[in-house]
Amino acid sequence: MADSKDAGEEALRRLIATFQPSFLAPNPALSETSRAASRHLFSALRPFCPKSPLDQLLIDGFDAEQIWQQIDLQSQPLLSSLRRQVKHFAKNPEEISKLKVVPLGKKVEKEQREDWVEESDGFDEELEDDEEGEGKGGEEGMDIEDEDEEQGRESDNEEESEGEDEEEKGEDGEAGDGGIEDKFLKIDELAKYLEKEEENFEKAEEDTRGKKGADDEENTEDDDDDDEEEEEEEEESDEVSVLLGSIVSDFVLLCLHRMLSLDLAAKMQQGTWKMQGMDLFYGVFLTLEHCGWDEQFILLLRYEDFFGDKGKYSKKMKAQLHQESEGSDEEDDDMKFKKQNKGTASTHQKQLEKIHSKIEEMEKANLEPKTWTMQGEVTAAKRPKNSALEVDLDFEHNVRPAPVITEEVTASIEDMIKKRITEGNFNDVQKAPKLPSKVPREVKELDDNKSKKGLAEIYEQEYVEKEDPTSAPLSFRDEQKQQASVLFKKLGLKLDALAHFSFAPKPVIEDMSVQINVPALAMEEIAPVAVSDAAMLAPEEVFEGKGDIKEETELTKEERKRRRANKKRRFKAAAVKRMGKKVQEGALPNQMNG
Amino acid sequence: MLRRNIRMRREYLYRKSLEGKERLLYEKKRKIREALQEGKPIPTELRNEEAALRREIDLEDENTAVPRTHIDDEYAHTAEKDPKILLTTSRDPSAPLQQFVKELSYVFPNAQRMNRGGQVISEIIESCRAHDYTDVVLVHEHRGVPDGLIVCHLPYGPTAYFGLLNVVTRHEIKDKKAIGTMPEAYPHLIFDNFSTKLGERTANILKYLFPVPKPDTKRIVTFSNQSDYVSFRHHIYEKHGGPKSIELKEIGPRFELRLYQIKLGTVDQAEAQIEWVIRPYMNTSKKRKFLSD
Repeated sequence: MADSKDAGEEALRRLIATFQPSFLAPNPALSETSRAASRHLFSALRPFCPKSPLDQLLIDGFDAEQIWQQIDLQSQPLLSSLRRQVKHFAKNPEEISKLKVVPLGKKVEKEQREDWVEESDGFDEELEDDEEGEGKGGEEGMDIEDEDEEQGRESDNEEESEGEDEEEKGEDGEAGDGGIEDKFLKIDELAKYLEKEEENFEKAEEDTRGKKGADDEENTEDDDDDDEEEEEEEEESDEVSVLLGSIVSDFVLLCLHRMLSLDLAAKMQQGTWKMQGMDLFYGVFLTLEHCGWDEQFILLLRYEDFFGDKGKYSKKMKAQLHQESEGSDEEDDDMKFKKQNKGTASTHQKQLEKIHSKIEEMEKANLEPKTWTMQGEVTAAKRPKNSALEVDLDFEHNVRPAPVITEEVTASIEDMIKKRITEGNFNDVQKAPKLPSKVPREVKELDDNKSKKGLAEIYEQEYVEKEDPTSAPLSFRDEQKQQASVLFKKLGLKLDALAHFSFAPKPVIEDMSVQINVPALAMEEIAPVAVSDAAMLAPEEVFEGKGDIKEETELTKEERKRRRANKKRRFKAAAVKRMGKKVQEGALPNQMNG
Repeated sequence: MLRRNIRMRREYLYRKSLEGKERLLYEKKRKIREALQEGKPIPTELRNEEAALRREIDLEDENTAVPRTHIDDEYAHTAEKDPKILLTTSRDPSAPLQQFVKELSYVFPNAQRMNRGGQVISEIIESCRAHDYTDVVLVHEHRGVPDGLIVCHLPYGPTAYFGLLNVVTRHEIKDKKAIGTMPEAYPHLIFDNFSTKLGERTANILKYLFPVPKPDTKRIVTFSNQSDYVSFRHHIYEKHGGPKSIELKEIGPRFELRLYQIKLGTVDQAEAQIEWVIRPYMNTSKKRKFLSD
């Protein structure tokens, strides 16, 4: 076991020591080494996961995907339990000191953390070897250089910055521990961050295969845990510093190892670095650089971050970056460093800085000519070509838009239709009533009943009709005709009476024509049908008055005057009488109303 | 034939000019009639003519009582004769448009569909007048989607121009069994929310495309107006249980009509008088409604 353990460690060390870009090319030996290293790490973690189904990582004959899944299987429950523990410790910091097993356990944990980080490295490389894009491809972290920045990364980045913030607070709470602790924490964090960047870069290399692992999450969790662990650790005191010191030394070894393998001297000669006791960083940076990052880029960025002369260098640096890093991160770093350098006043200064920079920007914008969208009426000549297509133009439409036929609209229409149907209220075309163009033919109904009149009576009737047409009884079958003839007879009678009132005998028309079938005697009734009262009355009954009737024209002037005076007298008397009557009548209604 | 047409047109114009005077007379008679009915004194301005007008009122029957406008005179004889419709398209129709026109020929009873070919509009109108058609309906499209409908009433009648929106044809419904066959009975008509004079006029134009239905027919054609957009729906109803249960089944195409012009002449008369045209560029056009209140 010890042997294998040693072998595993050896493998791990070898893995770490290899030239990073060599991972890009498929290399069976390297693959073997990585597998051995993974197995070692797996067994190292095994004591901490009681529920893990696998005792050992099975690597013989398994491909990368399967090995990865085994590791996943082990670490998933572990992560959640760790997170829970960390949260618990975060709430009750005093319990940390109660953990007596702390130094070794912590160290192991710390190692584990490192291991995890390196594990992730290892697996990345392994996967590269096996030409599978899956795995911890989607490493989070600040995407400084990569064009294909994913949002996941950003959020992870923020998480990391949050972690850093928390750390900061922790730091503030514990300011008494001295520079090394701060630095250490910075270093650690930074190292982790830089590791991630390495992986980022590697991922960028393998991005041509275009795969993104689902391991983002796990990595995030890793980081979270790491951050929280760190936070948790901060809150410890002396034990931590001892522990940290040991780990620092490990890390330093690591970095120095790298530095030595690379051409340190040459880099140092570039002279843009100020040695401020931050030697540890160099190794890491150089590693990064060796991975192929742009020198200038790294140098500039790091310089700005760590030496924090924001006023002089920030803008220049920013201008020279082709992609800005997360502002929050930078700012966080800046803040930390400023705090280190100047104390609490720097926050305010930094805010002032921000405001000043904003003011300058705005003033500059004011001096420049405005964009065409802000210039009021603009013709096509005054704006760049096709620029109206890119801008979101908004104008009032003066037409009501077409109605969208939703379910409710259809339902309302159908309700209305149903209502109309039940009412029977339709707007149909009405047929106009036709005027009768022909007289309706009289339909003769044959009556089956036996005639009530005897034959003799019928003959009698016919004879009477012939003799005296007027006395014939009505023999119309149609009710209406009968009624009409009755009415007309009455009318005829009245008209005859009118005619008889001023009786004039019928004029004799001498007519020399032969008439056959004329009766021998034609007696005309001269007895009048009606006689008016005027004809019946005797003259003295009609007229009343005295004799000596004179006409108007026969009168003399006095006679005429006398007649007029009499008439007036009579008229006046009648008028008075009438007025009297009216007064009487007027009184009564008034009484009624009152 | 040509001279007869000219004479009839002149007569029509003369009657149109008389219309103003007739309307005045009609108003006076109406006032007198109202006053008589309510027992109120006759308005003073009519005192002189009252006797003569009263006599005329007594002699009137329902035909003469209503003032005849030249506008609706066009539909004076429709009640006596069933409408005869010719349906056709713009030139070179696409397949979906042809299908839509085929469906419309089932919607309008007594309708005939004709291929457009290369005929000129004036030819079409001439031949329709000769063959005693009452209406011609033209359908236009945009890239397969029907987007215009022109209804032209024939002897000198008015022409209404509609835009079609939200067209759903029977052919788009893939499930043939679900939609079933289209019955060809004369349908009942429903015109909802046509309250202004222009609304009434539009309703008349659309109404006289259909013949007089039997009272018990189950087929319903609905034109429902909502803020100047007229929805066309075509249903069959069934009464299952008691009087309250009515089940509507939608058949036939559904579309929205938007009136944009009425001209007082046939389609081929380009210089005919415009009775009404939409004005969307006015500032208040968004607030105004022309077919309803």
